[in-house]
Amino acid sequence: MLRNLLQGKFLQYPLHTLLVHFPIGLFGLSFLLDSLAWFVQPANALLRGAFYTLAAGLGMALLAGIPGLIDWATIRIDHPAKKTATLHLLLNLAAVGFYLLNFFLRRGTLTATTPPLFPFILSVIGIGLVSVSGYLGGRLVYENGIGVGRHRRWTEVPRQTIYASAQVTTPSGWIPVARAGSLKEGETLRVQVDGTTVMAIAKLQGVFYAFQEFCPHRGGPLSEGSFQSEQVQCPWHRSCFDVRIGQVTRGPAKVALQTYPVMVWADTLHVRLSPEFLPKDKGNTGQRQEKKREPVFS
Amino acid sequence: MKNFLQGKWLGHPLHGFLVHLPVALWPAALAFDLLTRAGIGGNAFVQTSFYAIGLGLASALLAIPTGLADWLDVKRENPAWKLGLYHLILNSILTGAALINLGLRINTFQTSASVALVPLSLSFLCTVLLLVSGYLGGRLVYNYGISVARASAEKRRQPTPMDRRLDRRN
Repeated sequence: MLRNLLQGKFLQYPLHTLLVHFPIGLFGLSFLLDSLAWFVQPANALLRGAFYTLAAGLGMALLAGIPGLIDWATIRIDHPAKKTATLHLLLNLAAVGFYLLNFFLRRGTLTATTPPLFPFILSVIGIGLVSVSGYLGGRLVYENGIGVGRHRRWTEVPRQTIYASAQVTTPSGWIPVARAGSLKEGETLRVQVDGTTVMAIAKLQGVFYAFQEFCPHRGGPLSEGSFQSEQVQCPWHRSCFDVRIGQVTRGPAKVALQTYPVMVWADTLHVRLSPEFLPKDKGNTGQRQEKKREPVFS
Repeated sequence: MKNFLQGKWLGHPLHGFLVHLPVALWPAALAFDLLTRAGIGGNAFVQTSFYAIGLGLASALLAIPTGLADWLDVKRENPAWKLGLYHLILNSILTGAALINLGLRINTFQTSASVALVPLSLSFLCTVLLLVSGYLGGRLVYNYGISVARASAEKRRQPTPMDRRLDRRN
């Protein structure tokens, strides 16, 4: 599949982060040669070098943009990192724009022996944009874990979170979340109940399991984890849990996962929370309150 | 000191940032070397290649202590520890090769029109080792999660009923 190829799953290494080394390094070298050209005579060789490294950097930047766009598109819509990723994308587009202009301006002055001022200013702007954007890209990997452990997951990851409410339950206290048929084998849903509980629901060998979304180790997203029989593996640091009881089957995690009862009724997935997780309104004294409401879900 | 080298003040691992320059520039140096051998670019490309190796080397030398700080944090029983060791050994070899490469060029790079065979083969060696070592470094991040979400364990963690029960007991 083309998307898996562009995400670098065959390499077990995100293709975008591999390719971006080149524009970052080459633009950096181009800037160094440009700066040296103000001090070293004759400057023509340096300026030619700066031009060709800039051109090579531009080519590699355009190449890196393709898997980058795919990566951006596959980040969950309501992911906190989506905004950072969008900013990263826009800054990169701006940087490529400046370098393109720079490239065409320099192309006509390859015989120059003194550094041209305007292209140099464009290079300074370009380096600034690439630095900020590269920093944001690094944050996406190291802070938000985008692309980390992604190659272990071969089924679709949730496109967005499903928002459910413990105020809307069946008479016996089950919270409807989604159509059971919307989940294929090996896929997951990400469900947030009332802003207090975030859980992942997985379908494994035809059975549904609901468990805490954030890995108790460093908060990796288990709805994007990989599965083997009844075990989920966190994409970030490879902790494994038994999804039936939440027990840790491999570290570094030490704390067990919270699991939730889940059932299918009228082709609808329902989950249940323990009473301590229900909103603390006047009626909630720790005893489950039965609410007579119709199941509502999106 | 360790926190500084790991880049906690920046919110971005320093090693993962500094390695971009050698990773890009040493293969670029090989490309420019080959072009001069093919009679393209002449002295301009000889110079470009020289500065590419130099800038890459400066950044690589800075990257060494940061990489060590990251590696020392990996537990011995983690398979990533061994991978990190290979990464370390390969990087030591290829940084040495880049240093020799730069030394061989320093007297002639301003005048010669093509790169001699020995520096060219050093560039080639550097590039090949770098591809392997860089891939291993990437595996450390993207497969083993080294330095991923390192600073933010407390911030991210969602309280679970299990925690609450433990809290109540304490």
